[in-house]
Amino acid sequence: MTKDKDYISKRAFMEELDRYRRGSVTRRHFLGVTGLGTATAVLAASVPALRPRRSWAQGNIGDRVVLATWPNYHDPANFEAFTAATGAAVDMNVFGSNEEMLAKLQAGGSGWDVFVPTNYTITTYVGESLIEPLDLARIPNYDAAAFDPRFAGPGTVDGTVYAVPKNWGTTGFAVNTANLGGLPKPTTWKEFWDITRDAFSGRTMVHDYQLTTIGNALKYFGYSFNSVDTAELAEAEKLLLDAKPHLFAINSDYQPSMRSGDAWMTICWTGDGKQMNRDMPEIEYVLGKEGGELWSDFYAIPKGAPHLDAAYALIDFLLDPAVNAKESLFHGYPTPDKRVDALMPAEVLNDPILYPAAELLDALEFGAAVTLTDPNRAELMARFKSA
Amino acid sequence: MSEAAYAPPSAEPAAHPIAEFRGVSKRFGEVLAADDLNLSIRTGEFLSFLGPSGCGKTTALRMLAGFESPTSGEVFLDGEVVNDLAPYRRPVNMVFQHYALFPHLTVAQNIGYGLRQRRPKPPRDEIARKVRAALEIVRLEGFENRRIWEMSGGQQQRVALARAIVNEPKLLLLDEPMAALDRKLRKEMQIELQNIQRRLGITFILVTHDQEEALSMSDRICIMRDGRIVQTGTPRELYDQPRNRYVAGFVGTSNFFDGVVERADAYRARVTLGCGIALEGRVLAPVAAGQAVSVSVRPEQIRLARTATGGETGWEVTILNRIFLGEHTEYLVKHDGLGEFMVLTPRQAELSDGPFNAGERLTASWEATSALVLDNDQAPQAN
Amino acid sequence: MTQRGRNLLLLAPAGAWFLVMLVIPLAVVIIFSFGERGPAGGYVPAFTLEQYANLPARWAAFKNTLMLAPAGTLASLLIAYPLAYYLAVRADPRWKTVLLVLVIVPFWTSILIRSYAWIFLLGGRGIPALLDLIGIDNVRLINTPFAVLIGIVYGYLPLMVFPIFVNLDRLDKRLLEASADLGASPWRTFLQVTLPMSLPGIATGCLLVFILLMGEFLIPAILGGGKVFFVGNALVDLFLQSRNWAFGSAVAATLVLLMLVSVTAYMRLIRRLGAQREDVALM
Repeated sequence: MTKDKDYISKRAFMEELDRYRRGSVTRRHFLGVTGLGTATAVLAASVPALRPRRSWAQGNIGDRVVLATWPNYHDPANFEAFTAATGAAVDMNVFGSNEEMLAKLQAGGSGWDVFVPTNYTITTYVGESLIEPLDLARIPNYDAAAFDPRFAGPGTVDGTVYAVPKNWGTTGFAVNTANLGGLPKPTTWKEFWDITRDAFSGRTMVHDYQLTTIGNALKYFGYSFNSVDTAELAEAEKLLLDAKPHLFAINSDYQPSMRSGDAWMTICWTGDGKQMNRDMPEIEYVLGKEGGELWSDFYAIPKGAPHLDAAYALIDFLLDPAVNAKESLFHGYPTPDKRVDALMPAEVLNDPILYPAAELLDALEFGAAVTLTDPNRAELMARFKSA
Repeated sequence: MSEAAYAPPSAEPAAHPIAEFRGVSKRFGEVLAADDLNLSIRTGEFLSFLGPSGCGKTTALRMLAGFESPTSGEVFLDGEVVNDLAPYRRPVNMVFQHYALFPHLTVAQNIGYGLRQRRPKPPRDEIARKVRAALEIVRLEGFENRRIWEMSGGQQQRVALARAIVNEPKLLLLDEPMAALDRKLRKEMQIELQNIQRRLGITFILVTHDQEEALSMSDRICIMRDGRIVQTGTPRELYDQPRNRYVAGFVGTSNFFDGVVERADAYRARVTLGCGIALEGRVLAPVAAGQAVSVSVRPEQIRLARTATGGETGWEVTILNRIFLGEHTEYLVKHDGLGEFMVLTPRQAELSDGPFNAGERLTASWEATSALVLDNDQAPQAN
Repeated sequence: MTQRGRNLLLLAPAGAWFLVMLVIPLAVVIIFSFGERGPAGGYVPAFTLEQYANLPARWAAFKNTLMLAPAGTLASLLIAYPLAYYLAVRADPRWKTVLLVLVIVPFWTSILIRSYAWIFLLGGRGIPALLDLIGIDNVRLINTPFAVLIGIVYGYLPLMVFPIFVNLDRLDKRLLEASADLGASPWRTFLQVTLPMSLPGIATGCLLVFILLMGEFLIPAILGGGKVFFVGNALVDLFLQSRNWAFGSAVAATLVLLMLVSVTAYMRLIRRLGAQREDVALM
């Protein structure tokens, strides 16, 4: 980082960094795969001299708040505004996978005040007593009525609200239609796996992530995305092993290969699908008709958060519809907040990638906690990768 | 004036040259390391290149070994031009200054190294036999399986010698081989080297800056300076008939009295010194009137006496300093006109008249034939 | 302070580091390897050999690692040796430092970024496109074991070059002259003097590269497209994805054991090859 202590150079640095990070590194599992998540730099205000020293007279919340989140998932300008308003600087820890976040919290002493779990991990956090029940009175910007219950639901466990929704998205696949030749554009997971083993041999990528890769192999047979049934998993395994020689790669960082033309089709998350489609319209994002994954990220407070006041202040600030809209425009993922939608441009709201048709959405399933922690699925993935 | 004409015919051994430099020069960038070398090396002789460091003697040796090729001129080995012949194709072996023994091999493996490179490769037992014989020659029997770093400096030197002679080279090159040995060991090795050379009949070429070493071991010495050969001859020739002041100063010690030739013929010259005194001396190489010269008188050729003897010019001197050397006594004396000079008196001569004491006033004298009139231009001259 | 006290003080920082960063984690790994996986992942204390009994489930990862680590080491050696030789023996001394710096320059960039560069070099628009120009078409490089090998050699080359370079650079050039003088051709001189004298450098370089390769996971993940599965990748998955810490610990402990065994065997071999080679170390 720069030694220059002025505020502009800090912002210039952040802009540079964001430009770099916006490039091609996918949201989630890349850092998990590389194991670099835990080593990733603490970003904003990591140089003490840059941190504004003044603290707000009314409602002093301390001078910092630590946020554990995903790469490229916040507008730095919002953090600057938060710091300007409250005097608390945001220390951002970037992670690559939910598992990594969970591991860090399980190990204890994370020092986090706010973190961003995905829907299927919340019950686990609750079960392990790692998460603080939220005092909604301290988050006045959270208006339960404004939020789509489909996405807000997983934040409530046994009637207690542990997490409030941040953004949501889907897991489908991206296909480079220029390579289809005469073939019709695939619309189902069955077609995905069949083309992979035929016309697209050597050109398809799947995630290095058992939840989506096994889940979407299960969809080939019409089974639940979350199945842990031994017989059903055995069928999925057979399909995966059969497809493996035809795969281009097992890698969750698929944008570079899709953009370079080396890969023609990949399992894909909403944001990546949107980004690739924006730059290369021939890459289209498809939600398999059989269904697949729907996910939702949340804000939550871990047990023992060192700056509890600042944690509530930050969540409330980020849920302010105006702030949230800026966040959404920055990273491209929709929010489940109607008040935010009202502030969004029409072309975003009409985007079929970000806001899929209702019938497609209805077929999707939230990943379940058991799916994620099922040892059989983990071993299946290992067999698939090492085959 | 050619060098061959300069050396008396009696000094020429009757043998054909094993190696020869013909007009050889070697340039390293701006530096002329060897400048028009002309020299015949005779089969079986022990020849030394003598000179201070940087005089070109090592370059000459390395051109014989093949590590350097001449910039111009020709190097002959056994009648063939070998200017660009690779070292490993030459029937020449070298004893390196710091021995360059292979630390990863045993003594026997080091010595047998050259034999093992031959094609066809000699049988194992033949190599072993020759290695043993070589070890015997250098008196290291039983050291076959030692490691190099287990040997003393003197022993390493012997191994290096054995490693070279076992190949029965036509030419054995020795690059300051004794430089790393202490004085006593050096004396022993000098004698041993000479014995080995006589026994094997191999031509030895030694590079050294140690005049005593060169004088005591060599059949002939080639004195070098600034890349040039100044004079080649037997030790006695160089001592008695130095070509110029540089040689006289380098081979043995001498007193030099600088002056200008007053008159000269082919045999004698009269030289006027700066102080006005005139000295007579023998002329070895022609000098002309008005030429700057030095009159050289060896310390041992000067006599000291309490009373002047007849027939010689005597110089009134005062003894400044006396050093007792056993067989000899060295005196530093001073004459009002000639200045300070050195006198070496044999013990025998002192039995009657000496010893003399510091401060004593004496008469110093020498035979006119002992004084040599030498060109005193210190730079080497063209042949 | 006594001499003994001073010695202890000198060793204290390294000792503390060793204890905290190596001994304790290793002990934790070994203890965990006898435990069980918790229902939500992580570790539950137990004493069972079950994790070790499960090791065959990662047999493919071990097999790949045990094949690619020596192959990568050998490939690095074959490429690094001539380079180190050139730098130490042939290169113009005025350029030597510059050339050496050029060997290190890639280290200024993260291996992650550099491996990404290789994705493009080996990808369809990279080298295969060039090969296509000269009529060799349909070459697939990226996401193959060969790509992993290229990445390994590229990533670890400096580690192999440097010890060999240092060794060759210190090699007394007079030994080479002595060998030539004794009738050995340049090639035979290389085989009989240079090569045996550079064995310590080769041994060090191979050891460094081999040990690091045994734990490699980044290059197979990036250039192997996740289809080339090393023990390192198995460990990343076990700890960071399925969070099966007990089994992961058993795999890790086995990897450490394998390294110990192979490194010990290797050291023995080297010692026998260069029997009583103290001299070389001293030179």
